[in-house]
Amino acid sequence: MAGTMTVASKELRDQFGSKRFLILLGLIVVLGSLSAYQGVDYVGSSFVYIFSGARMSFSFIQIMVFFGPILGLALGFDSVNKERTNGTLSMVLGQPIYRDSVINGKFIAGAVALITLAFSTIAIMCGITIPMLGFAPTLEEALKIGALTMLTTVYLLLWLSLGILYSVVFKRTSTSILFSIATWMTFSIVLSILAAALSMALVPPDGDFIDEGGPGEPDWQRFTISPEYMEAMQERQALQSAIQNLSPTHLYQITASSILGVSSFGFGSQEFARTATLPEALANNWANIAVLAVVMVVAFAASYMAFLRIEIRPGD
Amino acid sequence: MENVVETHQLTKAYGEFVAVNELDMEIKRGEIFGFLGPNGAGKTTTILMLMGLSVPTKGTAIVAGHDIVEESREVRTVASILPEYSSLYGDLTAWENLDYIGKLNDQPKEEREDRVAEMLEIVGMSMWADTKLESFSRGMKQRVGIASALMKNPQIVFLDEPTIGLDPVATKEVRELVLKLNREKELTVVLASHLLHEVQVTCNKIGILNRGKLILLESMENLNRVMSGGEDRRIELRLTETTPDLIKDLKAVNGVKSVTQENNALYVYGSVDSDLEVSKTIVSHGAYILMMKPREYTLEEIFMKYYNQEVAG
Repeated sequence: MAGTMTVASKELRDQFGSKRFLILLGLIVVLGSLSAYQGVDYVGSSFVYIFSGARMSFSFIQIMVFFGPILGLALGFDSVNKERTNGTLSMVLGQPIYRDSVINGKFIAGAVALITLAFSTIAIMCGITIPMLGFAPTLEEALKIGALTMLTTVYLLLWLSLGILYSVVFKRTSTSILFSIATWMTFSIVLSILAAALSMALVPPDGDFIDEGGPGEPDWQRFTISPEYMEAMQERQALQSAIQNLSPTHLYQITASSILGVSSFGFGSQEFARTATLPEALANNWANIAVLAVVMVVAFAASYMAFLRIEIRPGD
Repeated sequence: MENVVETHQLTKAYGEFVAVNELDMEIKRGEIFGFLGPNGAGKTTTILMLMGLSVPTKGTAIVAGHDIVEESREVRTVASILPEYSSLYGDLTAWENLDYIGKLNDQPKEEREDRVAEMLEIVGMSMWADTKLESFSRGMKQRVGIASALMKNPQIVFLDEPTIGLDPVATKEVRELVLKLNREKELTVVLASHLLHEVQVTCNKIGILNRGKLILLESMENLNRVMSGGEDRRIELRLTETTPDLIKDLKAVNGVKSVTQENNALYVYGSVDSDLEVSKTIVSHGAYILMMKPREYTLEEIFMKYYNQEVAG
């Protein structure tokens, strides 16, 4: 354990001192603060709507959907292979510590950095808006904010675990950064496009508009959607959603939105949904949360196993 | 003297490629052991196995009484490695690097701080304790590297090509440092190198490794005897004149096995006891001895002899 904490404190110092982390932290804090500032106009009946942002800006959820993978992967993608390239891994492993101390220490340091980031961003957002609104969140809202923070942490740790996995599996940092970018693009952009295209191809429109109007009436009054078409659209939507569920970013988005009682799909398209209670939101989304947690654990377990099997060779 | 390293049939294979092949050797406490071999001979792989960082495919080894596989953590408490290239953090100062290693060795704060100061003093880097390593020359980095290897107060240190890339001054400094540590702290040193001169002037025992096989294991003082096949040696002579009769008479001296002439030098190959008779014979022919010295084999000659035998054989 002493080895783990020694490695973790050294790594943490590196993380907090790295330009990479400070730039991303600054960007997220600034965007989050702006989002909260604009979200004040839409608070309405619930304090948590500050996390929905204004209609034409990023919400906190969207910031995390977009930047979360970058953050997690950025903190992990070179954590092990950089040490191999620099030759420091053999020096560290040449000390009387258990080998897993190194990988555990790196994960703990990354986790502390990301938890600090998530907590501080949310705390700053709340700190900005409370004086502007003149009231603080209720207990229920505070719990929702707490749940959002926990969910965001798990989501960020998932990406950190994937980043560390790449850094263990790939010997070169250039390869692991390429895989990190590919993963981020796949889950953040490509999968949603693929889901839309696949669902359109697999569920062709059945039925069409029904002309129920009289002559001379404008089109928007004459035509209504047929029940068959509506059914096909719903089926298509369900398939698209099922495919998108393969993406952690999508799971995070729908779960976070549900916890806050906000529908949030893309830039400037937030809608306020029926405000669910926290237990309701958690009950409806426990599977999503479980999937995020399991993926995080599996990714870390894979990197842990791979690290223990690393063969130190001349030049490492 | 007690063995610090003992290997038995130590083998490491990466797939079909055998990097180290059934290595049997012993290194005694306090020795400076030179591990010689061309690039890719298996020196570093052997060191990694002896440090418990790489698991052997076959065979065993004991380092300071600990099995390298079963007790690899214990091995790493008594053995240190200085890898071929700088293995410290460039963004940390010399002090911070050593302090980190002390922490990894679970040394209490006060003991650690004293040790860091002592090690920096030994390697002559106290003045640069608070300077980041990235601004150091290669020689300075190597000095801090050696200090880092000593942080745990090891019984044995593996130095893998410690002077590679260093200028002659830094090379000499590192060499003198190794000798000083061996002398003052009775540290056992394993010096892997392909620089023959460096090994010759530093080590008291050598092992020549080629293609993973140990082709020679001998103390430096015995090397010449081994090379000449027994107690015999070679004398290099420079005379005022050399005649065929003189060469003929020298060959007839009891104990002399052969006499050869190369350029202006005469080489007499024979037993140590024949020196006096050789001198008398030369004087009896009216010649004067301008120079007479035993001609020792260079490590390069020794290495090439065994290397060529291995390649040919």
